Amino acid sequence: MASTAPRPEACTLGQQITVRGTLTGEEDLLVEGRVEGSVSLAGHLIVAESGVLEADLDVQSIEVHGEVRGDIVASQSITIDKGAHVAGNVRAPRVIIHDGAQFQGAVEMDVDLPEGLARGLTR
Amino acid sequence: MANTVIGSTIVIDGEITGDEDLVVQGTVKGRVGLRENIMVEESGVLEANVETATITIHGTVTGDIQAAERAELKSNCRVVGDIRAPRILIADGASFKGNVDMDG
Amino acid sequence: MASSRQHSSGTVPATDGLTVIGQGIHVHGRIHGEEDLRIEGRVEGGISLTETVYIAESGVVVATIDARDVVVSGVVVGNVSATNSVSLEPGAKLVGDISAPRLIIADGAAFRGNVAMTEGGSAPPKRARTTTSRSSSSSTSTKTKTTKASRSSSSSSSTSQSRASTAKRSTPRVAAIRAPKSTARPDDEVTVIVKHAALSEEEEPKASKSTKKKAKKSPPRGRVPKPGKRRVNRR
Repeated sequence: MASTAPRPEACTLGQQITVRGTLTGEEDLLVEGRVEGSVSLAGHLIVAESGVLEADLDVQSIEVHGEVRGDIVASQSITIDKGAHVAGNVRAPRVIIHDGAQFQGAVEMDVDLPEGLARGLTR
Repeated sequence: MANTVIGSTIVIDGEITGDEDLVVQGTVKGRVGLRENIMVEESGVLEANVETATITIHGTVTGDIQAAERAELKSNCRVVGDIRAPRILIADGASFKGNVDMDG
Repeated sequence: MASSRQHSSGTVPATDGLTVIGQGIHVHGRIHGEEDLRIEGRVEGGISLTETVYIAESGVVVATIDARDVVVSGVVVGNVSATNSVSLEPGAKLVGDISAPRLIIADGAAFRGNVAMTEGGSAPPKRARTTTSRSSSSSTSTKTKTTKASRSSSSSSSTSQSRASTAKRSTPRVAAIRAPKSTARPDDEVTVIVKHAALSEEEEPKASKSTKKKAKKSPPRGRVPKPGKRRVNRR
């Protein structure tokens, strides 16, 4: 489990920062403050324990220790850590939810069901 | 590989099929169709029609039994139903009500 | 094998027997009971347990599962609801909705469906998608099954319906514990009153409030079955 501490070069939105609107980027980002709107990031997004995102997220990968309210789409993975709060629908090839995380919403991953089970599923 | 065991507090309402030994300590209602051996232990209750290779009953069976090889009713068992098997063993002390057909 | 893996909650109880549905076995119907169940074969229908269901890597379950803990290493198609936790191990595949206070999805598990975390030690999300009545601040007293049941029932109507039907099917002890959920709030006094009312309906006055926990841990359970009694109570 990667810790909340970012790599030294990672861009950080500090605790007292609030962003409203669309946030786009192509590098890793650590959010300790607040983002409202939407985030589109071709990189790794870390929501620190103090971080609050009220936004729809489209990222490469994300690690939530804080709070996210909005839908999350990740091209790689979504990790919801212990103590995190996520309310929204999440979609990624890999979704990891740790014990102690709080999550409300739908999860969509690729599920390769065995032959015969996939049939007859309305989903 | 562990055998299939239906534990004493388990109730299965439906159908069990397969090709593996079955030990019944709990309750099975419905139908059982196996190609292997069934053991109904003292706490076991089968309320089902049974098709199997062999069956050994220490507990209670209500329903028709069709065994391809052998049906064995041990002492203190209670069986109500028709039994059809080439070999049928009924021990002293067993309680049985029903028809016996050993023609196979 | 998943069999030897103890669940992280560490509450695998000592029961007088472990029920196993072996690899070569196919069960079509309903399974209910009060002990751990390990599924290595195939089960279609419904499972309702007061203990832990393990679905081994070889296990395939097409069923609605209702248990205290559910640990999946195999394949499940169907809705899963647990009074404690649902754990998807690496390699698990689950399509269906999950309702549980605790959900653990390991890396390597695949899942598609809705999640309703019916209870948690911490504050709920402010934008509630499902209306969860957390009127009480006594989130520390969420250990009892009664509270869990009441909360989970209030979070999702579909779950509560399935639970209600489950409670009817289950043994009277379970029914008595879960009975207050329809009206109960996480308020101890109200809960107690409703419990007693429910118990008198069930004609099963053995579970008073003080002894309920103990009775839950070690139910007076003999190996000799009482089919007649069970049948009467289930209907």
